[in-house]
Amino acid sequence: MNPTVSTGRLAWPVLAVVVLLAALAPLIVEDFFLNVILTKALWLGVAAASLIFLAAYGGMVSLAQVGLYGVAGMTYANLVLADGGSAAAWNPWLALIGALVVATLVGLGFGWIAARSEGIYFLMITLAFSVLVFYFFSQVTTLSGFGGVNNVQLPGLLGSPEEDPLPRYFVTLVVAVGVFLLLSGLSRTAFGLGLQGVRDEPARMRALGFDVTLHRTLAFGIAAFIAGVAGVLSVWYNRRITPGSINLAQTIDILIIAVIGGLYRLEGAWVGALAYALIDNYSREWVPEVGSVLGPARFNTLIGVVFLVIVLLSPGGIVGIWDGVRASLRERRPSIRGGGASVEGT
Amino acid sequence: MLKGHRSWALVGVVAALALVGAGCGDDEEDSGGGGTSSSEESSGGGTIKIGFLSDCEGAFGSFFEPTISGANTALIKFAGAKPAGEKPSDGVTGAKIAGKDVEIVSYGCADDTADKAIEETRRLMEQEDADVMIGPLSGDEGIAVANYAKEHPDQTFVNGIAGAQDATLKVQAPNFFRFHPDGAQWSAGLGDYAYNDLGWKTAAIIGDDYSFPYTSLSGFVAEFCAIGGNVSKRIWAPLGEEDYSSYISQIPDNVDGLYVGIGGAGLINFVKQYQEQKGRVDTERMLGNVFWDDPLVLKEVGKSLVGGATAAMTAADSDEPAVKTYLKDLEDAYGKEIAGLGPSVFTYGYYTGMTALIKGLEAVNGDVSDQKKLQEALAGVTLSGEEAPWGDVKLDDNRQAISDVYVKKIVKDANGDGVPDVQTFRRIPEVDQTFNGVFSPDTPAPDRTNPKCVKGEPPPWVGNAEEVDFSSK
Amino acid sequence: MTTRDPKRIAGLAVAAIVVGFLVVKAAGDLRQFVVVTLNGATLAALYFVVASGFTLIFGLMRVVNMAHGSLYLLGGYLALELQEAWFEDDTGLGLSLSGTSETEYGLAGWLIPLLVATLLIGLLGVAIQQVFLRWNQGQDLRQALITIALSVIIGDQMLARYGGISQDIATPASWPTSVLLPGDVRFGFFRGAIVLGSALLIGLALWLIIKRTRFGKIVRAGVDDRDMVSALGINVNLVFAGAFFLGAMLAGFGGVLGGTMLSLAPGQDTAFLLNSLIVVIIGGMGSLGGAAIGAIALGLVDAYADVYLTFGGTDLTNYSIIVTFALLVGVLAVRPLGLFGRPA
Repeated sequence: MNPTVSTGRLAWPVLAVVVLLAALAPLIVEDFFLNVILTKALWLGVAAASLIFLAAYGGMVSLAQVGLYGVAGMTYANLVLADGGSAAAWNPWLALIGALVVATLVGLGFGWIAARSEGIYFLMITLAFSVLVFYFFSQVTTLSGFGGVNNVQLPGLLGSPEEDPLPRYFVTLVVAVGVFLLLSGLSRTAFGLGLQGVRDEPARMRALGFDVTLHRTLAFGIAAFIAGVAGVLSVWYNRRITPGSINLAQTIDILIIAVIGGLYRLEGAWVGALAYALIDNYSREWVPEVGSVLGPARFNTLIGVVFLVIVLLSPGGIVGIWDGVRASLRERRPSIRGGGASVEGT
Repeated sequence: MLKGHRSWALVGVVAALALVGAGCGDDEEDSGGGGTSSSEESSGGGTIKIGFLSDCEGAFGSFFEPTISGANTALIKFAGAKPAGEKPSDGVTGAKIAGKDVEIVSYGCADDTADKAIEETRRLMEQEDADVMIGPLSGDEGIAVANYAKEHPDQTFVNGIAGAQDATLKVQAPNFFRFHPDGAQWSAGLGDYAYNDLGWKTAAIIGDDYSFPYTSLSGFVAEFCAIGGNVSKRIWAPLGEEDYSSYISQIPDNVDGLYVGIGGAGLINFVKQYQEQKGRVDTERMLGNVFWDDPLVLKEVGKSLVGGATAAMTAADSDEPAVKTYLKDLEDAYGKEIAGLGPSVFTYGYYTGMTALIKGLEAVNGDVSDQKKLQEALAGVTLSGEEAPWGDVKLDDNRQAISDVYVKKIVKDANGDGVPDVQTFRRIPEVDQTFNGVFSPDTPAPDRTNPKCVKGEPPPWVGNAEEVDFSSK
Repeated sequence: MTTRDPKRIAGLAVAAIVVGFLVVKAAGDLRQFVVVTLNGATLAALYFVVASGFTLIFGLMRVVNMAHGSLYLLGGYLALELQEAWFEDDTGLGLSLSGTSETEYGLAGWLIPLLVATLLIGLLGVAIQQVFLRWNQGQDLRQALITIALSVIIGDQMLARYGGISQDIATPASWPTSVLLPGDVRFGFFRGAIVLGSALLIGLALWLIIKRTRFGKIVRAGVDDRDMVSALGINVNLVFAGAFFLGAMLAGFGGVLGGTMLSLAPGQDTAFLLNSLIVVIIGGMGSLGGAAIGAIALGLVDAYADVYLTFGGTDLTNYSIIVTFALLVGVLAVRPLGLFGRPA
């Protein structure tokens, strides 16, 4: 399941159109849709992007992203004023920085342990990490406990989202675009190229003098930073964080989002997140009842089936389907650039 | 990445269509899964829209249909509705309050996490434009919904069966109403019974390590310690622990009794492992929390609990005519299986909640355009007779119910259905949330060590419990 | 790795401290120590049965069967359903009120559901392998994702069919609940005799199969060099199917044991998947001996941490689960492939 990763140049026009549409969305859609679908899809996309970054450019499929975003979210929630946790009542912006620092440090530390493992071992260790974070916050009642931290204070910039979701939406949008640009830019730097080399041929890279473990650890740290951003965004969205927000189901859901969108394309993160948010919300009404096998309560079966179908048929996810359609369309046109499938930009 | 003029134009068009399509789809007023057959108008134009929230996944997923059955039966009885199908989640038709059609916009389904509960709440209240909501089911969800309610004062929320104390005691949202006792109140009377009747001077506690057991045990601790008992050890097993053996081995031998606050999921394991380690489950030295006499739990593990005592606001063996009518209404609507779960707090909480909501709506003539009036009316609603078969319900200043609680014993099966029976022997009148000041907005929330075991003023019902005997006929 | 390797010394030092700590605690209350140790050992036995199937499938086919936990739970539920359907004396009115509390079961009432359920799960495992995994051999990640998807679907369907309330499988009435051991120690019969006994028998049987039969030889060869085995003309696909059958059966068997010893409830599938993961990560993927050691480590740490994590006045037993994971991370920091693992 290794379709080629894109190293083509960023299509600025496409990005501009999408961002423009997103910016204009408040004029087109209702507040509910803006809040529950779009804002949520944006921060879920950031979380999935951290996973995709590691998978696509580092060759490491990690299930630790939810654990890391849990660390960031819980740190933020504990540093500001809230119900529960230690309510240190810091300034929210300082708390944000604190949360990101903690998440990145934890990510680097854990990455150092996990970087020696590969493939399936790596997947399992990272899964164990996320579960550990879940249990940690469930059991340590001074930081969270099962009830979690409620009524978390938001930065003033976000205003009062229950009355006006726009500021929060725009902040989330700006952050998401920033993350996308950062990660795609990173892949073109020396570090990013080195990382992709490590992904493809670790032995050769080692022979060339690259410190493979260090590269992987750093990549993990970067992904931890991004996951931390998603974590804080999620706390801003929910205004609470509980162990239930970072349990095993959520870990699997982020993986599902990344795969549905396209595991090897950064855009896939947001495509998958949007699809997931739409299915999650609308399936409860539109899904017909089929005995006890299918029905509004069987959301997990539905998303599991969609996930299975995507993995079986289109390993590149929805973005992969899109690429395939474009490639076959292009094949029909006579082209001077020889070969059937396009070489660039896929 | 995508390149070429045609491709990005295509992307842009597709994205725009998607957004517009989704946005448009949002404008429809839809009745969702299990609504009524009333006209689809926007709220205020003659239809009262009620949102319903319960759990269909997670630890309490089995209680989805029972909770709906409670709410629907209230609508059937007091609003002229008829079941739309065999299952409670098929909905009801023809419900009318004060002449206006009533529509249940959707049966929301959460999974015992606060995040999901709020998402469903949003879906019901913002997307489906419900005017009022009944729910949620579990404790942490209740706190989250109460906080949400606080930020949406123009909507009204009636609790389903969430038992977290803080949802009313601390959050104090003026538009969040709980018409049943909270988790701590459910243990009222047990401390008195243990100290004065069973002669316990010391007790140990074992429970799951999360908020609901903390809350239900806190009621026992508050009462037992206030009158002079001592809780010498509190053992908390992590939630999801399958193996209680090691925790059982920590139960001290030198205590007079044990209060068991293990939830429905772990109770089977606990009983089995206790039996293995100690030889038998010495229930005469045990008290259990609200799960012990829940019909579903009795069926699975009841035989081992025979001899133990428990408490809650329902009494399955009551011979009051109102109780019989209630059970019969459930059976007529949904059959014996659902009626058998009538005494479950899950069914009853939603029943009384919906009944109160109906009464409140009737008091304002079905006018939901000014929710302040509805909220004032609800604050004054009292339930009695067939509206609350197991005892009158009235609200305190925090919109939290004050009602009776029953102390019961689990006894051997007497009516031949193979499941152990419940024998109620005491009614505790008018239990309030504060336990005579032990719990207040300023006291720490129940947790592993709170409330502390201190002697003090006993709650007013200690010594005033009424002996009841439903078997004498 | 020389004996003076710092990691090894550190590892030994930690082990010495832990053992010393336990000895002190044991001296305090020997009876409790024996009970807790037996608890841990019987838990370890259950973990071993389930994890052995998991490691077998991975060792041979490099398939991380993330649906292993779902097979475990489904095995338990099937046995429960069979027990209630075939052996209950009164037919009752339906699942919820007929009440099984008074029904007594004979020996057949437990053994037959056990055998049938185990067999069915084995067949289901083969079906999964043939339909979903056979054609993408070698794509590890894709197979892991497929099995994750299957576990999500199966888990939700089990919730729909069996509900959320915990249930357990009844033991035959002729078996005692507990036995009295010397030293006034009372211990569960089913846990001590049946589960522990089954684990030992299964361990022995697996060892014999792997070491002494032709099938086992092929499995071992396949673990080392799959392509060579296929080049030698052996029907690799048949061997794989057989291994998957065996691995899934072990999961199902474990499910019946666990459903009798503990209980069946939603969430047990992910719990046992995680347990199996931890066991094989510690022990090393593909190693049966590693699975045994890993299971013992996990079971004992679990049991001891639940009780003995107290230092003077501070009670840290609530954090026992964290200790379990700390064990995992600790092993991995020292041996990234587990104690007996070999590189893929």
